[in-house]
Amino acid sequence: MKRSIKGLALLAVLGLVAFWIVTTPRPLPLSALPTHAPNVVFGKILFNAGGCQSCHKPNPEIAGLDQNLPSGGAPFKTPIGILYPPNLTPDADTGIGNWSDLEFVNAVQRGISKSGQHLIPAFPYTSYAAMPVEDVLDIRAYLATLQPVSSPNRETGIPLQFILRRGIGLWKLAGLDTTPWKPDASQPEIWNRGSYLVTGPGHCNECHTPRNLIMARDNSRVLMGGPHPEGSGKVPSLHGLVERGRYKDEKDLVLAFQNGEIFGYEHISAGGMRQVQTNLSKLPQGDIEAIANYLVSLK
Amino acid sequence: MTPNKFLKSMAAGALVLGLGVTLAFASADDQIKARQAEMKGNGKAMGALVAMMKGEAPYDAAIVKSSIDAMAAGDAAASEAKAWDASSMEGATIETWAKPEIWAEGSDIGAKYQAWVDARTALAATTDEAGFKAAFPALGAACAGCHEKFRRPKG
Repeated sequence: MKRSIKGLALLAVLGLVAFWIVTTPRPLPLSALPTHAPNVVFGKILFNAGGCQSCHKPNPEIAGLDQNLPSGGAPFKTPIGILYPPNLTPDADTGIGNWSDLEFVNAVQRGISKSGQHLIPAFPYTSYAAMPVEDVLDIRAYLATLQPVSSPNRETGIPLQFILRRGIGLWKLAGLDTTPWKPDASQPEIWNRGSYLVTGPGHCNECHTPRNLIMARDNSRVLMGGPHPEGSGKVPSLHGLVERGRYKDEKDLVLAFQNGEIFGYEHISAGGMRQVQTNLSKLPQGDIEAIANYLVSLK
Repeated sequence: MTPNKFLKSMAAGALVLGLGVTLAFASADDQIKARQAEMKGNGKAMGALVAMMKGEAPYDAAIVKSSIDAMAAGDAAASEAKAWDASSMEGATIETWAKPEIWAEGSDIGAKYQAWVDARTALAATTDEAGFKAAFPALGAACAGCHEKFRRPKG
């Protein structure tokens, strides 16, 4: 009897140690950063493609903040509680002004905070992980050109955070795929650009690809639609957009992205898509055409 | 009251209650139908205007007028049918994509509705193509303003 209790205690300790080891954040090393002269113009395009502003919008409780700067602090509701996406402006005290490039890349592509904790995957690092590091550094360089805004980060309203964040380490084993996006040599350049924008920065899969039982994206049903993450309604499939009569053709879809419901494209307003459409409308014409070209190819 | 009488009155009460509930839901179905008919009409009217915006159809002041009139008539018919009353929140047999937030406390549905009425009025007051093209986006934005907040995605 005494022996079996000892055995159980030992097992429990071993289990905890194993959990601890498995769930330890694994940041990219400094050697993962390429020598790269960042391009601020590209960075701005990727910032808009990623829709960063939509979640990192200013704290509504502070008056007079520039609504076009990602100073963070607006509530973001998730099924497990309210998050407050942080300040991305280069303010040294409250923003990311004194983050290193490596810290930025690890947050965006590995979901690891500056203090080394797992980030909750409401932040779509699971998509950004597919981007080339150079592109992430371009975003970083663009953010550094913005006006610094003093807006302190707010504590999330999520219970049992310590254990939860550790648990995310376990989830990442299945839910975080760090395979870089690769072009398809059999497809034209415009299609590949669209595929990249949709898969990487655009993070369309986060909502338009259904999830499996452990909340990892179901890669056998890419962009086939699923339940809405906010719990009400459905996210449409992006396959057969023309065949199903949602859009007349590729050109029609471009107009929809550029104008949304201003031109009567009513489906692109509901379920959070109006913000996405507003962000995408800021992209260069060629990039919007690339996204449409890629999406229309999904039959 | 004899047990028999008691049972009878219970049964009658249940019947009345059941009928009442059924009627309430039946009328919610009718209200939702009226709402969806209104939206369908708006969509049709918008389609004609959007075609002019995109240059797929030539500018035609008569179509602008008839489209705005159709929306106003649809609006009036919908209020007549109580299509936007809180009692229409949930149907018995019809699915609605209208979110309950429309009828929640502090909802700004009234202001959003007014924005739509104002945009209609402004568009109706235009007399040439340039004026139409300048005024139209506000109408589309008014549609989007409500859909963004108060309509569930259809999938």
